[in-house]
Amino acid sequence: MQVKVVIGTVAFMLTMMILGFAALREPARMEAFSRAAVGRSIETGAEIFANNCATCHGVNGEAKECYDTAGNQIGCKGLPLNSKGLVCGDRPARLEAMNWVGSKEAFIKQTVAAGRVGTAMPTWSERFGGPMRDDQIDNVVAFVLNWESEELCSQPDITFDWPESVDDFLAEFPEGDAANGEALYLSYGCIGCHGDVTQEGSNAVGPWLGEIAEVGATREEGKSAAQYVYESILDPNAFIAPDCPTGPCTSPSAMPGNFAERMAANPQDMADLLTFLLGSGE
Amino acid sequence: MTTFVDQVREMGLKQAVLVKADEIVERVTAGMNISDIRAALRGDEPRRPNPRLRPHADSFWLHIRPSFYHTEVTHIYPTFRLGWLSTFMFVWETITGIILMIFYTPSPLVAYSNMWNILSNVPLGQLMRNMHRLGAEVMVVAVALHMLRTFITGSYKKPRQFTWATGMILLVLTLLLSFSGYLLPWDQLSYWALTVFISGAEAAPSPLPGIIPAEVINKNVLLILQGAPTLGAGGLLRWYLFHVLLMPLLLGIFFFVHYYKVVLHGLSLPPGREEIGEDTAKRVPKNERTYFIPDILTSELMWTALVTLFLTAGSLWFWDAPLEHHADPIVTPLHVVAPWYLSWSQGWLKLADKTLVVGFIPLLMVAFIVMPYFEVGKSRRYADRRLGLSVAMLFIAFMLVSNWMGTPEFRVQSSPEREVAQEIAPQEGPSVLLGVPFDELLPGTYEPGQVIADRPHLTRALEKFDEALALHSCTLTGNPEFEECRVTGEGKWGNSFTDSAMPDPVAKLIIEDVQPNLRKLVLHFEAVDPNNPDKMLVDLDWVKYRHADSNYEEECRFVNKNC
Ligand code: HEC
Ligand code: HEC
Ligand code: HEM
Repeated sequence: MQVKVVIGTVAFMLTMMILGFAALREPARMEAFSRAAVGRSIETGAEIFANNCATCHGVNGEAKECYDTAGNQIGCKGLPLNSKGLVCGDRPARLEAMNWVGSKEAFIKQTVAAGRVGTAMPTWSERFGGPMRDDQIDNVVAFVLNWESEELCSQPDITFDWPESVDDFLAEFPEGDAANGEALYLSYGCIGCHGDVTQEGSNAVGPWLGEIAEVGATREEGKSAAQYVYESILDPNAFIAPDCPTGPCTSPSAMPGNFAERMAANPQDMADLLTFLLGSGE
Repeated sequence: MTTFVDQVREMGLKQAVLVKADEIVERVTAGMNISDIRAALRGDEPRRPNPRLRPHADSFWLHIRPSFYHTEVTHIYPTFRLGWLSTFMFVWETITGIILMIFYTPSPLVAYSNMWNILSNVPLGQLMRNMHRLGAEVMVVAVALHMLRTFITGSYKKPRQFTWATGMILLVLTLLLSFSGYLLPWDQLSYWALTVFISGAEAAPSPLPGIIPAEVINKNVLLILQGAPTLGAGGLLRWYLFHVLLMPLLLGIFFFVHYYKVVLHGLSLPPGREEIGEDTAKRVPKNERTYFIPDILTSELMWTALVTLFLTAGSLWFWDAPLEHHADPIVTPLHVVAPWYLSWSQGWLKLADKTLVVGFIPLLMVAFIVMPYFEVGKSRRYADRRLGLSVAMLFIAFMLVSNWMGTPEFRVQSSPEREVAQEIAPQEGPSVLLGVPFDELLPGTYEPGQVIADRPHLTRALEKFDEALALHSCTLTGNPEFEECRVTGEGKWGNSFTDSAMPDPVAKLIIEDVQPNLRKLVLHFEAVDPNNPDKMLVDLDWVKYRHADSNYEEECRFVNKNC
């Protein structure tokens, strides 16, 4: 019996030592597991993004490279998400632009869950009639937020002072490349809303732009077609076009208002687009 | 009656405190004071009247325990302490379970994140979870072995038939208790195991064909088991209540019935110790008594300490509870696996019709329960029970084979390329590829079997890739890496391992950056159709994402993880 008492006591003490050892490493372990939980959520989010979002927001979330289910490249309808203005810091620029007082997490989650009325951004949460459960929304939001990186966020803010008048602008960027303009029309996602310029009626959201060279000059008194298109791209709300494919165009405009920023790094894009839409010589 | 103050006056503070302490100890132990306990621990003879018998008469907990045992049944043989271990595991599960319960809400909205919270936010939470889950499996093993031993020693025979019958019910309850807990994490593993189980139960045949139509049974089984046409919030709540309320309650009740009968009849002596047909367990001669206090109690406390040590160390270093992705009713995993202790039923489902299997299981249970009332051979001696013992061994062999047949290794092969992918980077759980540390997973394209300097884990993963590929591939062009193809059907080739192998496949691992701390691992497979060079027979990109912090390395430490 004495032997049993000794064995039992030793075993008990060993257990206590093990528990003590486990308790000591708990803070570090819990820390690692917290990070692992986020990491795995991001992994699942990446999968969800690739399967559901990349068609509109692009494979890298830059809204540059979009493919349909058959693998053909198409225009990106969505905004760039892998972007400094959306994910960097506590109050990325996009929150101010959208008058959002909450956090960026809430902004992104809300947009993904509920979609954005009047735009191509669908509703995703099953709470609002979409296909995704809460955990899936959380995962894809974690993935989007994970684009915040030192590399992205340390990029300088590129601004460009767009001149009022298109003529002043064209004086600075006289050479427009129509072929590149066509490529940009695809990669900026104009085609997703405005359709193929050679095919009337192929537009899904905004007016068809195949005849904008003529129509543009009639929109606003005293403005040339070039001036009008130029302004329409920089500030869609300046003038709302009358007819959209689903009825009268709504105000505020369903056209993204951030092309001015997106083209700031490369204003030549504007010149190319204008050349493509309006033809050279104009 | 003197008050404590009087006592202090009378004998001084020190003495009075000692007397008081003695009194309290005697009250708590329901009869033994400090010197009695010390004498018992020293191994002295008890004084008269024996104070060590009083707790059995006066205390609640000890009155259900016999005050002495036949010395012959106190050794490891014949009980192997397995009944005790089963009881201990039930108590262990109750304690660890209550701790986990505090951090768990039975709702599909939060159950899964509760699990992650237990792992990442509750001190010792992972340990508790591992202890509870490991404990559940150990309990199943303990109960099954206990059953086996009572069979082998013939302890189910008259007068203990009813003990055996209640034991069978305890076995079923133990399995249900384990399995009902399986659903609670609400991950893919649990969700699909339960779904398969419920769809099996749904196929139950009617017990009264012609009177109650099978559809009525099926509909109601479904309603009872998940409360809705699909497994969702209602189902989870139900299984939670089964797990924390109904099953433990029933198990508790049947345990006391079971144990009452055990004490009533006395533990059966080793078969060779008594005359054939006699049962002398209750007549214990004075010189063959081993008293509960102190001997059995000490022994049980020692075993408690040892098993606690074993389970604690096991849960900390060797065995880790799995947690897969969030349950997804739309995504059926490639292989749905039952827990091992129910794998036999999955094996049977591969052999026979669902309704047949589901109808057979309750019949088998009933057969086991009534077995002692029909098997009335008088002798408990091994030499006289060759037939019975052989049948038992055959049955065990049958169950082991059935269990193996329940695993995906037997007769579930999806397609060769998926089997290879599943082997090194399965849909769920850590794996040899995901377990590679992040800084070894540099972007690039890698060949199976490639050796990469200074990156041992990746090299090992690529080696496993190569092995798995070889197992599921064959060659028509004399490639020395693969076995020669044999034709196994129209447009199908095989090797010596499988009937469905890829002819001369090209496979590689492509790693790309997705985000600065996130990489995409693609297992790419392609094989040209040998009958039609323009057609791809195999063309698969198997994608896994790997985050720098996901910490699969940590999971791979445990011996029960497949890395
Ligand atoms: C059918 C195309 C489409 C799909 C698919 C799509 N989006 Fe969008 N998304 C858009 C459009 C268009 C916008 C811009 C809405 C606007 O103009 O305000 C947008 C905006 C957003 C925004 C807000 C960006 C900002 O700066 O305001 C987020 C975040 C977002 N999407 C995330 C997602 C996620 C995550 C998915 C996948 C689950 C997804 N989107 C799928 C079209 C899409
Ligand atoms: C999310 C859909 C969407 C995208 C993407 C989009 N637009 Fe628009 N666009 C609209 C809508 C809706 C209107 C009509 C409302 C308005 O006038 O603002 C419009 C109006 C216009 C107009 C005025 C048309 C008219 O008939 O008066 C022009 C020009 C234009 N967009 C050019 C572009 C160019 C160039 C791009 C790409 C750089 C682009 N849009 C991207 C939706 C979009
Ligand atoms: C939760 C499950 C169970 C618990 C907690 C339990 C507990 C016990 C205990 C404590 C004993 C006495 C000590 C010992 O034999 O080790 C016992 C004896 C016994 N048990 Fe169980 N038991 C369980 C399941 C079973 C099962 C599945 C069977 C068989 C079908 C069974 C049949 C018996 C029999 C026949 C005895 C009498 C043994 C004898 O007298 O030698 N029990 N049980």
